[in-house]
This record gives sequence, structure tokens and C-alpha cells, in this order.
Amino acid sequence: MNSLKVARVALRTRSTAVRTLQKRSYADVAPDKIKLSLALPHQAIYRSQDVVQVNIPAESGEMGILAQHVPSIEQLKPGLVEVIEEAGGSKQFFLSGGFATVQPNSVLSINAVEGYPLDDFSADAVRNQISEAQKIAGGSGSEQDIAEARIELEVLESLQAAMK
Amino acid sequence: MAFAWKAAGITYNRYLAVAARVVRRSLKDDKRLAAERRGEMDLRFAKWENGKQGENKSLATANTEAMAQHASGSSQ
Repeated sequence: MNSLKVARVALRTRSTAVRTLQKRSYADVAPDKIKLSLALPHQAIYRSQDVVQVNIPAESGEMGILAQHVPSIEQLKPGLVEVIEEAGGSKQFFLSGGFATVQPNSVLSINAVEGYPLDDFSADAVRNQISEAQKIAGGSGSEQDIAEARIELEVLESLQAAMK
Repeated sequence: MAFAWKAAGITYNRYLAVAARVVRRSLKDDKRLAAERRGEMDLRFAKWENGKQGENKSLATANTEAMAQHASGSSQ
């Protein structure tokens, strides 16, 4: 009687094991995680690491990306990317602009030119550059110089807002 | 999506370079010195015609001239 019960339990565990094997191949991600790659030309901050959520500053608006997000390509504004990791903690990086690609099967790639944690920025340097860029933007330089100063202002103001 | 810098003939590549440059300059001193080295570019090029090398030009200057030419304000 007792041995029969044991056998039945063993049978049940084996059948669930078979079912999960059929469902998942080795390339799959855990169902509630995203595989994040955050790469700069000179450094990879994340290499296909499992994370819970990523908030990105897309040109079309701020968005939070969770597992099973629809595939899409988003151009990024200079701004703060927040990564919520498996352990529950979150990390913030200021990126200078680039692209985020959401691939099928919860794979997210973010490419940017420069990206640093907020602690690495100097509030004084930001403030000085803002006043300098404002001078050029309002000055009588070439059309290109003024446009570049406006780009700098956009980045600096986003950075200043993120540091507060 | 219309970007103001496009009207000045600035390319997306240049836009990214300007944004990255200003991010590097905003870093604290120790990181900034290491990072700013990445922003240096001094490429030169020359056009070869009929087996002869043309004038040696700086890529940065040539790019600036090309951007000014492509600005929507100037005649094309």
C-alpha cells in the first residue's frame, strides 16, 4: 500500500518534469525576466543579464519594459535609464543617447555612446557648461554652432534634472 | 518627429557625438580625463584623381562645411 503511494508520487513528478522540458528550450529566459544587454562602444555594462524591468527615456516618451514586451525599436533621448535587478535593487545610468531594441522572447539591447552612473557626474561642471552653452546659443555664431549649443543644453538640462 | 538640429544640416551622427562630448565633460575630474581621450578624432583624407593625390583635408573641417551646405536655410 505504502510503496504504491511512493510510486504514484514519483510518476507525478516525472510527468511535470517532462512537461517543463517540452515548454522550454535552453535559449529561453525565465518567464518574468528580461535579458538585458547595455553596451557602449568601449564597455559592456550588462551582458545578457536577467533583470526584472528597465525604464528608458524614448523619443516617443518614457517607457518601462517588462518581460514579454512587444518587439520594437526606440530612439533614446539623452536621459536616465533605470534597471530594476533580480535582487530588487535598482541602478540608474545617464546615457547620452542611442537606441533600445526590444527583441522577441524578452531580449532587450540598449546601445549608447556614453553612459555613467549618476554619482560620476559633477554638479559644478554641469552648471558651468549650461551657462556657457546658453551664451553660445544666444550669440551670433554660425547656424551649426548655435544648433550644437542647443543640443548641449538639452543634454545638460536632462542631466541636471536627473541629478536632483 | 522633427528635430531642430536637422534644419542646421547636423547629421544624427554629429548629434550623438555632441551629446556624448557634453556627457564626458560633465564627469568628475578623474573619470573625465580618462573619458575625454575617447572623444579625440583627427582623421585626414585626400581624394585621388588620375593617379595623383589631391589636397590633404581634415575630416572634421570637411564635415562642418558639408553640414553648412546642407542646412535648409542656405541655397542648395
